[in-house]
Amino acid sequence: MSDLLFQSPLNKAELTSPGGNIGLTDESATTKILVRGQGPAVAYGQSKLLPNGTLICGSRPDEWTFLAGPGKSAEVQAGIDQSEATTIVDITHGRAMMRLFGPAATQALAKVCSIDLADDLTPDGAVFSASVAKVTCDLVRSDSQGIQAYLISCERSFGAYLISAVADAAQEFGLGVPAELSLH
Amino acid sequence: MIIVPCPHCGPRNSVDLRNCGEVVNRPNPDTATLTEWRTYLYLRENAAGWVSETWYCRAGCRRYFTIERNTVTNEIRDQS
Repeated sequence: MSDLLFQSPLNKAELTSPGGNIGLTDESATTKILVRGQGPAVAYGQSKLLPNGTLICGSRPDEWTFLAGPGKSAEVQAGIDQSEATTIVDITHGRAMMRLFGPAATQALAKVCSIDLADDLTPDGAVFSASVAKVTCDLVRSDSQGIQAYLISCERSFGAYLISAVADAAQEFGLGVPAELSLH
Repeated sequence: MIIVPCPHCGPRNSVDLRNCGEVVNRPNPDTATLTEWRTYLYLRENAAGWVSETWYCRAGCRRYFTIERNTVTNEIRDQS
């Protein structure tokens, strides 16, 4: 699986706003490894960044998702204690992923997601699953240099719709949305 | 809007969950009569008042859990 040429279901250039208020990028190439059973000591709803850049997300009560840079599947899997894990699956090709970032990211996401995105409930590093524009998604709050950012992933087949829906929500905050992504 | 208290995810909008209906006890398939099995599969009390229900956290932790909901007021109390 990891040897296949990755083709993003989104394949969109980075969308930005003129003032840097909000941005949306395709991050589907991110390596995504799903672990079920006995996993690392990362609680459901939390994440842990390893020194090598791998982000371990407690996706469900007995499920973890390892996120790393593109093409690092073998490296990430080699670092997992395989004696304890029940299932290890590379889901890189099966999931679309995008990053919504900027000072207005929280406001834009709140338009299409029913989760309370306040800092005390979903701080930097929070992991949660929820409906985003009525698509079941896994989300990670992954701030960068103090700027709010959310990694949003969903089943690959919903990716094209989801990026359009998120871009549509972000449009009122200044995001430039090309015609092919417009829902209107 | 109904706020449902998921034991893993906390309070959630009910659109993120699925109501699986009243809790019904499954009879022993080896000894149940056809009438008992049909009752288990298809018949419900549909009470106006407090009812034990199974909910599925569809968009969150993907776990099933039981709560009590008042079908008249939609008030919810945790049963766990």
